[in-house]
Amino acid sequence: MSTKISGPGVRMSSVVKVYPPDVLALDNVDICISPGSIHSIIGENGAGKSTLMKVLYGITQANAGHIEVGGKPVRFASPRQAVRAGIGMVHQELMLIPSYTVWENVVLGAEPVTYLGRVKGEAALARVGEIIERWGLKLDCSAIVGDLSISAQQKVEILKLLYRDVQVLIMDEPTAVLTPQETAELFVRLRALNSDGRTIIFISHRLSEVLDISDEITVMRRGRRVMTTPNRGLSRADLARAMVGRDVVFSAVREGDAALDSSQRPPQPSPPTVPPCLEVRGLSMTVRGRGRPVLDDVSLEVRGGEIVGIAGVEGNGQFELVQAITGAVKPDSGSILMSGQDVTGASVMSRRRLMCSVPQDRKLAGGAGAMSLVDNSIMTHHRLRPSLSSKLTPLLLPRACRDFCARLIAEYSVVASGPDAALSQLSGGNQQKVIVGREFSHDVDLVLLDNPTRGLDVGSSEFIHAQILKKRSEGKGCLLVSADLDELLSLCDRIIVMYEGRVAAEFAGSEADRDSVGRAMLGLGPGPGRGPESEGVTSGR
Amino acid sequence: MAATDLAIELLRASVLAATPVLLAAVGGAYTYFANVFNIAMEGMMLIGAFTAVVGSYFARSWAVGLAAGVAGGLVAAALFVLFAVALRTDEFVTGTAINMLALGGTTYALRQMFGVRGAFMSSQIRALPRWDLPFGPVLGGHPFLVYMALVLTLLAEWHIRRTRFGMRLRAAGEDPKTLDAAGVSSSAMKAWSIMISGALCGLAGAYLSLGYVRLFSENMSNGRGWISLAAIILTRGRPLGILVMSLAFGLFDGMGMSLQGAGIPAQLTQMLPYVATLAALRIYSLRQKL
Amino acid sequence: MRKQHAVSAAAGVAVSLLAGLAILAIQGYPVWQSYAALFSYSLFSQFALVSTLNKASTLVLTGASAAVGFGSNCVNLGQPGQFLLGAMAATALGIFLDLPSWAMLPTVIVAAAVAGAVWSGLAAFMRLRWKMNEFITTLMLNFVADGVTLWLISGPMLDRKAYSPMTAMTNPGAWLGMWNGLSGAVAVAAAALAAVWVIWNRSKFGYECRVMGHNPGFAAAGGCGVARNFTWAMLLSGAIAGLAGGLMVTGGMQHRFVKGIGANYAWDGVMIAIVAGNSMSGTALYALFFAALQTGAMGMELETAVPSEFALVLQAIVVLFVVASRESTRLILAGLAAKLKARRAARMLEAPGEGGGRHGSGD
Repeated sequence: MSTKISGPGVRMSSVVKVYPPDVLALDNVDICISPGSIHSIIGENGAGKSTLMKVLYGITQANAGHIEVGGKPVRFASPRQAVRAGIGMVHQELMLIPSYTVWENVVLGAEPVTYLGRVKGEAALARVGEIIERWGLKLDCSAIVGDLSISAQQKVEILKLLYRDVQVLIMDEPTAVLTPQETAELFVRLRALNSDGRTIIFISHRLSEVLDISDEITVMRRGRRVMTTPNRGLSRADLARAMVGRDVVFSAVREGDAALDSSQRPPQPSPPTVPPCLEVRGLSMTVRGRGRPVLDDVSLEVRGGEIVGIAGVEGNGQFELVQAITGAVKPDSGSILMSGQDVTGASVMSRRRLMCSVPQDRKLAGGAGAMSLVDNSIMTHHRLRPSLSSKLTPLLLPRACRDFCARLIAEYSVVASGPDAALSQLSGGNQQKVIVGREFSHDVDLVLLDNPTRGLDVGSSEFIHAQILKKRSEGKGCLLVSADLDELLSLCDRIIVMYEGRVAAEFAGSEADRDSVGRAMLGLGPGPGRGPESEGVTSGR
Repeated sequence: MAATDLAIELLRASVLAATPVLLAAVGGAYTYFANVFNIAMEGMMLIGAFTAVVGSYFARSWAVGLAAGVAGGLVAAALFVLFAVALRTDEFVTGTAINMLALGGTTYALRQMFGVRGAFMSSQIRALPRWDLPFGPVLGGHPFLVYMALVLTLLAEWHIRRTRFGMRLRAAGEDPKTLDAAGVSSSAMKAWSIMISGALCGLAGAYLSLGYVRLFSENMSNGRGWISLAAIILTRGRPLGILVMSLAFGLFDGMGMSLQGAGIPAQLTQMLPYVATLAALRIYSLRQKL
Repeated sequence: MRKQHAVSAAAGVAVSLLAGLAILAIQGYPVWQSYAALFSYSLFSQFALVSTLNKASTLVLTGASAAVGFGSNCVNLGQPGQFLLGAMAATALGIFLDLPSWAMLPTVIVAAAVAGAVWSGLAAFMRLRWKMNEFITTLMLNFVADGVTLWLISGPMLDRKAYSPMTAMTNPGAWLGMWNGLSGAVAVAAAALAAVWVIWNRSKFGYECRVMGHNPGFAAAGGCGVARNFTWAMLLSGAIAGLAGGLMVTGGMQHRFVKGIGANYAWDGVMIAIVAGNSMSGTALYALFFAALQTGAMGMELETAVPSEFALVLQAIVVLFVVASRESTRLILAGLAAKLKARRAARMLEAPGEGGGRHGSGD
């Protein structure tokens, strides 16, 4: 192991990065990370945190600026050089080969080989096992990574860095995919690494976590560094103001510590009087190649005028539940009713007469990037909205389609050059507005939302949240699936927690809090531990 | 007695017919694992067949012919790399264009260099030597490329499964971003896989034109590249599986010849390998459902 | 968007013509004379123009067939087989059917389209029922179609008087007329293309197909019947290829199925669809361009002895360059814009007054 007492410091000065064609991601950023510290970088989505770290790790190259590591000027053309200089990164989307074993993933790119090029499996296995032992990571070296839970996969990522004996660890939004309990466990590990002398750069947009773990905090906003300060006597409000650039009411919502202003919430209708717009009864489904059922006797109801949230660690059946409701897959048993009609065996299009749906993945199911906004906005409407097509022939009316799109652009304040612009030319937030606008233009009683604000900037998220609340006040029922616990806590009237394909718990909006929902997400009972760092919590798998 | 002779003849014909498919498919296995949609094999094979004849004819040496065949395959592969990897043109588009370039280019060059249409043969073309290996009546006495193909298959199996190159190759195919983040260029791995495939298609081409005949004819690869692709998909790229598949196709090819002797029109018996491929795909789809 | 496409297409065509020029120069051909012949024999006389249009009538259909397929995310590479079966259906009916002339031609032409659709429908069936990849099945079916038609024309349907495999001539009732050398096939092809254009760009089905071509997941989530559309797109694609084959027999001069009737039309169509980016108007333009190259190449061979197969080489180069430039122009332009903006941003720092610290700079 290293003989250094503390890891090297990092200094980056006047770093400029423009993503083609004209997105200024980093605007002359200066940052100094002291040796052996835990330094957090916070900022909203799109503030440039990840880009700055990608530059430091050599994945992308800056257009201008200087980097020093341990006092020596460096310039990394590839991550390989960064690793050689002692810098490693755990990415927000985990960078692992799912079909490879833990040890194969760890050694990939730095494989011990014989002179013929054969990978020395035994040697690698021993070395990796040693590190697992030393840091108490509790991983099986020969397990297939795809079978591991998200938090275990994250441990593999950390293992990769330890295998390369990296002295500066960049953790890019590591807590985004973790429950509060798993986050606590991660922090214990990071502190241990830090006290071993390693420098840790921690990226997040969750203020309480940042205040919890860091020595120093840098705030970024719109590609600029706003401030750097030691973590002493800071409040969330201070950070939130610096981060968002205006007052804090909103940031409280994002944090989920305070419920939305009660004035913003319309009074909830008394449930029995309103008929449910969605009833799911005893839904079960198995998928070939997976041992336990992905959906196991799931029942739930959504009534008009309420927002029902679905929480859960990724891969616990939320995805399949949404697919079953939209009609993308057929469940093995159980039934689905919309506005009282049984749609269990119905086609996607016939369900679309009763529901609209904002999909999880913009690129995969939300739209077609290369097609025009017109083509993207008329999807589904092209069959359901009579005004778009001619009465006698199966032809669409180009003028009507354009008008429809133009109205959507105006109504949802989409920033675009016009209806003919390609969807991919728009920023992520505006793309999502087009999608949300298209779906919300359906006059239906059920609104299905699957992670509608994932990866969006504050403004767009705020806009979309407002639209969701508007739908509720119009008396529509919303089912909101989200990986963002704060989003659920701030918007939902009820939160249903899924664990291993089952409904594990249900909370009324008023009684839900991060800790109890987090415990349910891990399949733990409503234990006594109410503090943010309950002792002895493990990942559960 | 006559029946055994017939059987031996059939099996020998199968081995001969299987070899080019095997060579191309083993190369294609590399691109399969690198997740490159390699539909240019047909064209690379055709170019290899042509350049092999050119080399053998002008140098009057089978060795030069073989080297020229490989070189031809490599040039086509380099073109694929240039467009599909470096310039990020769609792989399907690049592959189709290269196939067309191969078809048009060889036909054009056939007339331009040798002044003939259709086919070129000459006694100056030197064929690949046959090895009289004591492997019995079925496996003995074939052009040496047949044996080389077998060795290459085993080598590829080891190379892809066990070595550092293979590990990175498969990683490049499964998740290129992850490999890039690990400091290994996934584009480079893709490029390598295409070049390997080009070299082996070149060998397959040389085998076609210098193996058991000594001529080049227009479009002489005649769908073998497509069959190789089918073999790769059917076996999910495992070289040993590819070996079995190629032999099966070879058998049907050989059977076609035998049936022709039994009075069934040649035009129909020649369809046999393609129909067999369709049948194999159908069987594969059955297995997938289980 | 569209403008940028046109510019990069023009650039790609120009660069590939230059590349062709270089190839000829290296081989010592008189380049300017050759190119002059290439264009004068394809465009600058009535006969030349008529030959080009006749050829284009076939290419525009095989191109549209491929464009409908690729544009709907069906990798139909079975145009060669569908073309041959269309031609065979037209020939067979033309020989064995004797209807009054007003019914004969439409019957024969529709039969050709149906034959093509049957062949592509077979692949669609195998895809939907048995999950067999249409990309390979269509390719394999090409060889089957090739074998079957070859057997028919050299066995059961062989014209005994002929020296090479071919059928007898069809009944004159199944012949399309000629006007000053211009084949009636041109009119039929133009009408067919117009119909396909409307289906593709204006109908709900066409819209759904185009979405499927760009993003099948989006089409499925939006409620388009993906399996049904796939089937219909395959059938339409096959029908157009079959129609091309049928027009080859009903139009033209031969009025029979001769060995090698398909030539390279089907694969040319595949390339045309690719360079045209699956747009119908682009398909028409590139079909004309490729037809001009092919007819012009014949003239070039007469004048300067460049083998006419040069056209095939040039076509493939055009495909590579046009498509590559479409992608890379965008990337290069975006990269340049980024560099410029970065330089401006970096220079702003050196502007007076700013020391680099931006602590608390609220805006």
